Amino acid sequence: MPTVNLTQMNTHEIIQKVVEFGGDGVVKCIQCGACASICPVSHAGFPLFCKQLIRKVQTGYEEEILDDPSTWACVACNRCVEVCPRGVNPTEVIFAFRRIQANELAISTSSLMSQSNLYEKGHAVLSGESKKLRVKVGLPENPPTSVNDEKAQKEIQTLLDNSPMADLGIF
Amino acid sequence: MAKVGVYVCHCGSNIAGVVDVAAVREYAETLPDVVVSREYLFMCSDPGQELIRKDIKDGLVDRVVVAACTPRTHEPIFRKALESAGLNKYFFEMANIRDQDSWVHGDDHAGATRKAKQLVASAVAKAANLEALEDTYVDVTQAAMVVGGGVAGIFAALDLANMGHKVYLVEKEPSIGGVMAQLDKTFPTNDCSACILTPIMVEVGTHPNIEMLTYAEVEDVDGYIGNFKVKVRKKQTYVDWTKCTGCGACAEACPAKVPDSFNCGMNDRGAAYIHFPQAVPKKAVVDMKHCLNCAGHKIGQEPRISKKTGEPMLAPCEKACAADAINRSLPWNPEGELIEIEVGTVVLATGYRVMEKEHFKEYAPDSPNVLTALQMERLISATGPTGGKLLRPSDGKKPKVLDFISCVGSRDIRHHTYCSRVCCMYMIKQARLLMEKYPDLEIYMHFIDVRTPGKDFDEYYTHAAEMGIHFIKGKPGGIEMLPDDRLRVLGYDSAMGENIEVDADLVILATAIELPEDAQKLAQKFSMTMDGSGFFKELHPKLKPVDTPIEGVFLAGCCQGPKDIPDTVAQAKAAAASAAIPLAQKRVKIEPILSEVYPEKCSGCGICVPLCPYNAISLKPYADRPRAVIDMTQCKGCGVCASACPSGAIILHGYTDDQIYSQIAALTQSA
Ligand SMILES: Cc1cc2nc3c(=O)[nH]c(=O)nc-3n(C[C@H](O)[C@H](O)[C@H](O)COP(=O)(O)OP(=O)(O)OC[C@H]3O[C@@H](n4cnc5c(N)ncnc54)[C@H](O)[C@@H]3O)c2cc1C
Ligand code: SF4
Ligand code: SF4
Repeated sequence: MPTVNLTQMNTHEIIQKVVEFGGDGVVKCIQCGACASICPVSHAGFPLFCKQLIRKVQTGYEEEILDDPSTWACVACNRCVEVCPRGVNPTEVIFAFRRIQANELAISTSSLMSQSNLYEKGHAVLSGESKKLRVKVGLPENPPTSVNDEKAQKEIQTLLDNSPMADLGIF
Repeated sequence: MAKVGVYVCHCGSNIAGVVDVAAVREYAETLPDVVVSREYLFMCSDPGQELIRKDIKDGLVDRVVVAACTPRTHEPIFRKALESAGLNKYFFEMANIRDQDSWVHGDDHAGATRKAKQLVASAVAKAANLEALEDTYVDVTQAAMVVGGGVAGIFAALDLANMGHKVYLVEKEPSIGGVMAQLDKTFPTNDCSACILTPIMVEVGTHPNIEMLTYAEVEDVDGYIGNFKVKVRKKQTYVDWTKCTGCGACAEACPAKVPDSFNCGMNDRGAAYIHFPQAVPKKAVVDMKHCLNCAGHKIGQEPRISKKTGEPMLAPCEKACAADAINRSLPWNPEGELIEIEVGTVVLATGYRVMEKEHFKEYAPDSPNVLTALQMERLISATGPTGGKLLRPSDGKKPKVLDFISCVGSRDIRHHTYCSRVCCMYMIKQARLLMEKYPDLEIYMHFIDVRTPGKDFDEYYTHAAEMGIHFIKGKPGGIEMLPDDRLRVLGYDSAMGENIEVDADLVILATAIELPEDAQKLAQKFSMTMDGSGFFKELHPKLKPVDTPIEGVFLAGCCQGPKDIPDTVAQAKAAAASAAIPLAQKRVKIEPILSEVYPEKCSGCGICVPLCPYNAISLKPYADRPRAVIDMTQCKGCGVCASACPSGAIILHGYTDDQIYSQIAALTQSA
């Protein structure tokens, strides 16, 4: 890794963006590492888990990490939010950064799939496995949600068509 | 026959966890002269002491041995128990089977038990040979001295004075105030240092019980608690302070250029100068080392007469002074004046200095844009060299990027191993103040780690981070000088695990707090000991934090170790309260563990005289020839004389030859 010249980094700009996109806790982080210790993203071996992403943002990184897929691995378990001693809300920082990534179309393929699932059926995650399981325990194949409801699906599509997500042109 | 009682203490599990206490007690019963031997969980507790008192009152014992902890803390307690039961309190001996046994031989229970038996045997042997001794008392001179007029000395002096005691406040600079007077604002509340300190300095200057001796230093110390004789040298000011109004006209007129130490050398002052604008006392001095003797008018000489005007040619300082306070023709004594002051107690509050940047070759000390943090305080102070404007020293331009480096000389085995304790906080303070005043600054701060353990301190730090100040964990290893007077700080961000660098206009080094060299000399005069970090050592780090090995001398402020103003003031008030105790008691006890000369045996050889570290011995005529006498009030009972006397004429009470030989015999024969 080459040396980073801090004076030449556009630190305030990226911090400002993350704050605007909902990650206002980013400035409070003291890098204690509590969030990292329990973060499934970190455990799975992704490089930019919560603490690391926050430090990169604090240092002024943006473009260099835009294509990193780590943030998309966040399952929003919110364990980091629970343990953070500074009220940073790391999940929100990750989501804020995802929004920045999405705006640059730096979205991982797995995530693209969930987005189109969301658009079509109102669910980001649709699993064939769960259908079998439902039948096995005596439930109908699909849950009583938008999956079965064309009217609801239309409403969701209208909502998304009118949200900033439509501008991304992924649906 | 002496009737010795032995009391073996468990000290909870401190002793009993290692030493077989029951075995020691049983063994003691077999020793000569021992009439009773007991054991107890905590001998120093009231029921423990009661065991002793009861045995004495019942007539069972008349000599007491307690086998327990250290006499340093516990001997006085047990002596009191003897006294209250009606026995001479010097019929007491302690065997230290904790600090010198169980604590150090925790891995060898059998060996520790054997050693405890030996120590008890030796204490018993001495106890049987003890003699009754009596305390004596001397009156206490009703005055105190405070050395050093920083915030510590100021508060110690004020408290003592407000308790009604006469106080002499000795300060080596022309004004009191110390480092706090140099600070801009102060963490954690950011109140202006001058605003909170100046009124208190004025209170000191006008207090009827305080006699300020500024521009003065301690030259010699004699005596002991209650009766110190301190010689103080009042340095020559060459200005008649009874006339000087502090207007500063001489300082303005003086053409000499001397680095201004109050502004950390960032500008020049004259040879005639006033220490700083809010000085107390606000009086001018002429620093003769740098005086140019303008108009050829040397001190003590009549002025030359101008050939043109026929008038005497006076130096600018003389001419400028409307109060006629500077008269160079007078025979000013360059040695100043030596005065002797008698006081009962002393508080040492001589403070500290910060390390200069020259020690740190890796941080480009030659660049004028590398500053110590104390220089930074002056640079942002309204009374500083730029009137409080943040300007880059190299070219007077407004800096855009600032970089702070912590632990420069602290926590570094090449310089000082200790933490200077205030740097993290004052760096954050300076960064916050600068950020508030100049919001477009970029400020970077490198820390080994941020230490903010005081009240409201961590909140202070958190706020700084939220203000946009960049905190970087990792200590920079060097600075490169860039062609445009900027400085490239070579750092490492250990949180990211990446090398980083900052191109800064100004770099501020938080250099370590240390004791100045002349403090060593002062330490010798007062027989102070130094701790491992080079500061004045307190008697006990927890229980006697302001006391020293020299009774009647107390410590306050940074001369005892680095600390911030809240801790300094708290310690100063503690020192004042402790120094007031002997004054309030009006007399102090002199313990009889002292040396005495038997004149009949003394040959008058005088060997002992120069050996005594306390100058307590002199030769005085006795019968046919001069013989040694020991001044009881000076003697500290060290015993050097007793062991050196070739005629065996000196006896150290409490440690007589008989007593010591009996101890040795017991140690070598027992268990
Ligand atoms: C850059 C910097 C910023 C700081 N900022 C803060 C802050 O914001 N808040 C805070 O709480 N603390 C701050 N501190 C710490 C603060 O300076 C100290 O806590 C305080 O000054 C200690 O006071 P003192 O009286 O012990 O020592 P000093 O201030 O050093 O005073 C000692 C006095 O004794 C005199 N003296 C020395 N030797 C002799 C002698 N032999 N004979 C006679 N007189 C003698 C000296 O001339 C001096 O007047 C800061 C320190 C530094 C270095
Ligand atoms: S737990 Fe909070 S403060 Fe600690 S590293 Fe994670 S985000 Fe930062
Ligand atoms: S004679 Fe007076 S004016 Fe001239 S250098 Fe000396 S102090 Fe300054």
